Amino acid sequence: MNFVIARDCFARNDITFMKLGIVTDSTCDLPQYLIEQHGLEVVPSILIIEGKEYADGEDISRDEFYKRLPDFKIHSTTAAPSIGEFARRYQKLLDSGCDHVISIHAAGPLTSMVSTAQQAAREFSNRITVIDSLSLSLGLGFQVLAAAESSEDGFEAALGAIESTRRRLRVFAALDTIEYVRRSGRVPGTIAFLGSLLSIKPIIELADGEVKAIHAVRTMKQANARMLTFIRQGGSLERLAILHTGAEARAREFLNQLMNEMSQSLPRDILMVNVTTVIGTHVGPYALGFAAVRV
Amino acid sequence: MGIDTVRVGRLRGKPLDGQAVKRLVEAGLLWLKTNQQTVNSLNVFPVPDGDTGTNMMLTMTSAWNEIKDSGEKHAGKMVAMVAKGALMGARGNSGVILSQLWRGFARATQDSAIIDAEVFVRGLMEARDTAYKGVVKPVEGTILTVAKDTASAAEAALAEVQDPIEILARSVPAADASVNQTPELLPILKQAGVVDSGGKGLFFILEGMLRYIYGEPLDTPLTTVQPLSSLNFDEAMQEVEEGQDYEVVVDFFPGQHFELQKFYGKLEEMGTSIQVGEGDGMYRMHIHVPLDKRYEPIDYIMGIGTITKIAMENLTAQMDEMDAKTKSSKLELAKVESNQIAVVVVSPGPGLSRIFASLGVAAIVGGGQTMNPSTQEILSAFENLPTEKIIVLPNNKNIILAANQAKEVTVKKVEVVPSKTVPQGLAAMLAHNPDGELAVVTEKMIKALSEVTTGEITVATRSVEIDGVNVKEGEVIALLDGTLVASSKSIEDGVMAFLNKAKAEEHELITLYYGEYLSQSDANRIADVVRGAYKGQEIELQDGGQPHYQFIISVE
Repeated sequence: MNFVIARDCFARNDITFMKLGIVTDSTCDLPQYLIEQHGLEVVPSILIIEGKEYADGEDISRDEFYKRLPDFKIHSTTAAPSIGEFARRYQKLLDSGCDHVISIHAAGPLTSMVSTAQQAAREFSNRITVIDSLSLSLGLGFQVLAAAESSEDGFEAALGAIESTRRRLRVFAALDTIEYVRRSGRVPGTIAFLGSLLSIKPIIELADGEVKAIHAVRTMKQANARMLTFIRQGGSLERLAILHTGAEARAREFLNQLMNEMSQSLPRDILMVNVTTVIGTHVGPYALGFAAVRV
Repeated sequence: MGIDTVRVGRLRGKPLDGQAVKRLVEAGLLWLKTNQQTVNSLNVFPVPDGDTGTNMMLTMTSAWNEIKDSGEKHAGKMVAMVAKGALMGARGNSGVILSQLWRGFARATQDSAIIDAEVFVRGLMEARDTAYKGVVKPVEGTILTVAKDTASAAEAALAEVQDPIEILARSVPAADASVNQTPELLPILKQAGVVDSGGKGLFFILEGMLRYIYGEPLDTPLTTVQPLSSLNFDEAMQEVEEGQDYEVVVDFFPGQHFELQKFYGKLEEMGTSIQVGEGDGMYRMHIHVPLDKRYEPIDYIMGIGTITKIAMENLTAQMDEMDAKTKSSKLELAKVESNQIAVVVVSPGPGLSRIFASLGVAAIVGGGQTMNPSTQEILSAFENLPTEKIIVLPNNKNIILAANQAKEVTVKKVEVVPSKTVPQGLAAMLAHNPDGELAVVTEKMIKALSEVTTGEITVATRSVEIDGVNVKEGEVIALLDGTLVASSKSIEDGVMAFLNKAKAEEHELITLYYGEYLSQSDANRIADVVRGAYKGQEIELQDGGQPHYQFIISVE
């Protein structure tokens, strides 16, 4: 894992007690109030729609994006922000009195966010630690939150919190169609049902930075039932986010189901997130997912 | 048919050695073959599938092929070969149970060079026990009951006679009585007005042995007329003889002086693959003839009756078309690694095979509705796969036992996910994960079976009243998860009646797999009717290509 290597760059004593800044990117899907509460710097990722660049969540709203997604003439694609974007955030945090910055980002195997951040970090002589979250959306967001919540206890504590969160984290999604993921090229071609002649709804797990197809179902009801099973397998949860791509009604219905069936094991705050367009481009509209961290 | 001391039987009083066993097996097979259509027609549901007679005959044929060239004198060794052949060739539920009867019989007789009365009876008892054990939930009123009653009769006879042939002679009437009793034990048989087909098949095998002993004929009396519904020209199609290029089918009402024997004799002069069926006084004649004789049967029949319909097809051209079809639809099957789980499915149609392949199936065994694959065919489908971990989806209730038998025979780790219908098989396939653990994946796939409701739309092969539904031969019938739920005048009505019974309006997705007897435009038209009626549901139409069933439907 990337951060293990990064950690070796530091002598333990130097960095235990220092003021930490945290940079992430917009694929973390954290709501604005949490970003402000923890003073996080968020680099927007880039979406390319019919040849034009949009900053994720800034130039185009998520609601609008998902509404238009099925009608795009040319498939939308994504791009990492520039090195300069990262460098600007690092500089800003260091200028405001941070001794060190943790820069934690969307899964390296799926995006070029981590490698771009690493290039930017080179200019700051070991004051930036770039971490590959190996996850997306709140799978990344929850690692960021864990780091932020323990950042006052120092660098080691923050890294420990990230590692611990990652160990207890599971991210699943039930896609409404196989079309988008099929053409995204982000899923291994060996997955059998990518070639399905039947219309199917794949269920995928995001783990270790890879998209893994768990299996497929044919109806939304079957998909929801599977997702409930996966959540239940986690036992009591410390954090939970319901993720969707322009499918708020479906997400609410799922949340209600969840509350009815296992309210005891749910955390007090449950996030409900219309996920980043950068992910939405690859999974398509009307998908439902969750990121859960067990206790 | 008691013991007729007047008739001097072959084998009577002679030791029952390996060669005698061979003759008896041959006789059992021949007599079963002769009565194959009778057994086939004993179908509970008036649907064109589960041909028990054919399945049992093919199972026995496989047994016979194992011994036909053998000069083995040791009876036990001969029976062991019979059991092996039956096991590998077992098709359909009755075929599998038949193979288990042989297996049990072989176990009890293995050390006996000569089968005496005591060994013979022990064999029948062991056969019964093995067959009962082979079935998860034994049902009375089936072939199992007939095997049981036969064994009991043999056991009783042992107190009085010391000749295995005498014991067989006393057991056969008991088997007959047992068959006739099956409707009393199994209500569905009574409702359908039939006796159990598997039991009847077993009876014919035993009776054939006895007929051989008595020197009675075993070959097919050519003058048999089949019920119209059981005529199957597809099989005749597969064996086109050199030079017999045309298939002629004529429907006619015979005149006053119609003589069946003469009719057959005349037809034999013209061609081959002769089949004659009768229903409500109407006869249907089927024959393969050479090009220059193609009008002869028509001219002849015109002279002896009133022709209502003629159909003539160029078989050679058809065969070419079939060949082209199989070649053009080469399937892309999943390549499995040595550590992965491979799925083997039984598929009844080329379209369904393509769909299964697109979902990652590693091997496909053709068959299903009328042609049930044998244990051997299922076995060879996965024996060559480069992995030890196999899951089999039979996709038909009549193939589950054969799949289980294949599992018993192989050294590979095989799990059978007991899918009874194609939609169940597809649902299970979606839950497949080639990289998972065999037990876990199997469990998930079994769970997925219950997620769909299956509909089957076909044409009734005979008139019957069953489960409160009154069906006339030729009407369209709808089955919901294997139960008859409606009969109707048209395919469209049948589809709608099924969807109504399946409460499709409460579900999300209706998938219609249309069969080979339905044109794409007809299928499209019916799908549009369904779309109009079920606006809240997604409707998907797929080319299934299955025979006999106009539609296979899943509701989920």
